[in-house]
Amino acid sequence: MRAKVRMNSLLPWIVATCFAAKAAAHHSTAEFDYTKQVTIKGAVKEVQWTNPHSYIQLMVDGEDGAKSQWSVEIGSPSLNVNMGWRKDSVKAGDLVSMVVSPARNGKHYGTLRVLTFADGHKLEGIAAKVGAGPGPGAPAGGPPKPPAAATAP
Amino acid sequence: MRRLRLFGPVLCAAALAAAASSAAERVHAASAAQPALLGIWVPDAAPRRLLTSDGQTPPLTAQAAKLYDERRQLLAHGDASFDPTSWCAGPGMPRILTMQYPFEIRADAKRVVFIHAWYRWFRVVDLGPGAVDPPLPLTMGFPVGHWEADTLVIRTVGLIDTTVMDASGLPHSEQLTLTERLHVGPDGRLEDRITIDDPQNYTQPWETVLTFHRDARARVGDDVCPDRLARGEPAEQVPPAGAAQHPRPARAAPGPLAGTAATPEAGAAAGAPHLAGIWEPKIFGILVPGAPLSAAGQEIVNRNAAAMQSGRIMQTAWVSCRPGAVSTMTMPREKIVILQSADEVTLLFEMPRFVRRVRLNGTHPAKLEPSYAGDSVGHWEGGTLVVDSRGFNGLAELDARGQPTSPKLHTVERFTPSADGASIDIETTVEDPEYYTHPFVIKRSWKASAARHPFEFDCMENPRQEDFENAYYIREQYRPVCMRVEGEGMAPSKMVCGRKP
Repeated sequence: MRAKVRMNSLLPWIVATCFAAKAAAHHSTAEFDYTKQVTIKGAVKEVQWTNPHSYIQLMVDGEDGAKSQWSVEIGSPSLNVNMGWRKDSVKAGDLVSMVVSPARNGKHYGTLRVLTFADGHKLEGIAAKVGAGPGPGAPAGGPPKPPAAATAP
Repeated sequence: MRRLRLFGPVLCAAALAAAASSAAERVHAASAAQPALLGIWVPDAAPRRLLTSDGQTPPLTAQAAKLYDERRQLLAHGDASFDPTSWCAGPGMPRILTMQYPFEIRADAKRVVFIHAWYRWFRVVDLGPGAVDPPLPLTMGFPVGHWEADTLVIRTVGLIDTTVMDASGLPHSEQLTLTERLHVGPDGRLEDRITIDDPQNYTQPWETVLTFHRDARARVGDDVCPDRLARGEPAEQVPPAGAAQHPRPARAAPGPLAGTAATPEAGAAAGAPHLAGIWEPKIFGILVPGAPLSAAGQEIVNRNAAAMQSGRIMQTAWVSCRPGAVSTMTMPREKIVILQSADEVTLLFEMPRFVRRVRLNGTHPAKLEPSYAGDSVGHWEGGTLVVDSRGFNGLAELDARGQPTSPKLHTVERFTPSADGASIDIETTVEDPEYYTHPFVIKRSWKASAARHPFEFDCMENPRQEDFENAYYIREQYRPVCMRVEGEGMAPSKMVCGRKP
């Protein structure tokens, strides 16, 4: 019984880690806080359709009218293609909003959950599969974390 | 007039090719001529600058000419940052054929494979009928081939536009179609006659010719470009003018990687189980749970876990783009291409990008130079291929927790294909008394893939600054030499080399 309880408490971690492993696929997902979601809006400055990770650079409109640049990790080319993306799915100049899980260091950096275009159609990032639970690599003090599930290669 | 002079040979070649094509049946399978192409080839000239087959500058459009001039100016000042090979990213096509590195051609009935001596790159040419519709552009594109008499014709589309055609910076777009005609001439040289059709950058199709020769000294070893950068060496070895036309063999090239005779699948041992084809892991396993760590091994794993729990990105051999063969045993992802012959089983891994050569019915050399790839020998035990590997350099980790390995690592893999050919089960026994108290077994399973090509994993393509700002380096040599730094405001991002955070 005790073993079952322990497994149940670890299950969200294991599920999250399996998806996060796919999401990162190259290195640790520890830099992002999967418990948080931030919505940013703006114009796409640049799309880096690259390995080991692809990125969208977004010029975000601030409340004071100033623009700030966000770097959003969106997956990798092969991973995104398997999720229905194409290289030209997002282009420089597109007006979009993004829900991201932000970096723990507080910088304008995050991993994509959902991208929404001006006409309402959406593209999911792999982080959308991770759920709102604590992600792998969360700081100590969070829920129990199996050491075997801390990172992706 | 210049246009006519330039394009004349192309037209002639095209007409001759068309005539040959109509006269010779298109064969989408191995040809009787195939064995002549197999083996290791060394560039005759490895030109830094591609010219048309009659020695002219390619017919650039005005816009492409402007870009090319800018790159030539940069190059004159020692700045080759427009060429991804300068930071160990994928060279692309035909750039990799212009490098001063040998390549080896292997083949079976369904595909021809080019294994390049520069940083583990390979190209898989599908011999099946029908065109491909690339879902994404790749460094090596999506090559499809057929035989016309003794000529292998390869048409490649889906080439990513961030690579250059040659070291001088000739541009291309993703509209590029490369058509290669390869054959071995009476003088024993391999000729690759390449037609470049890219209306976005060139006013008309043009043709260039590259030739290659055999050299018994040439080797296709396990080359690891980022280690060169870490040592302060250039990513691409370029011999001085007038020097021998091929570089020294890649270092640490142990026996099995050293120019074994290529043999078509027809030469596979009679009755041997069939492993050839394209496979993919049934699941993406990133962890090796339950490994019997010694105190020394546990100490390393604890140190890694503490770093990760503080939110740092662990820079392992895998993450820093120099995985070992053991990573292909424990953490393969995406496609695996296997070629099988009587004397070798060749495994080409998409991710991590890795070429493994298993010499059949051989023995390990008495003295092994440690390497990432190790030395693998195999034999058949009934329906199972047993692969024994030694000679590792101890730099690779077993899994994403960074469970270590040492030069004492010894692995025995047992590959057993299912009776219906739909899957392969792999049991790997790992023995490393430095970090594990006793041998243990890792199980993996692959399923047959319907893909005609693997995708590719260009690990060094985009080393983002953010990945290194909060990194934990298992070894100091994993610190990056080149990083992509974002531009302020609307300024574009750029690669910056020479920084070590």
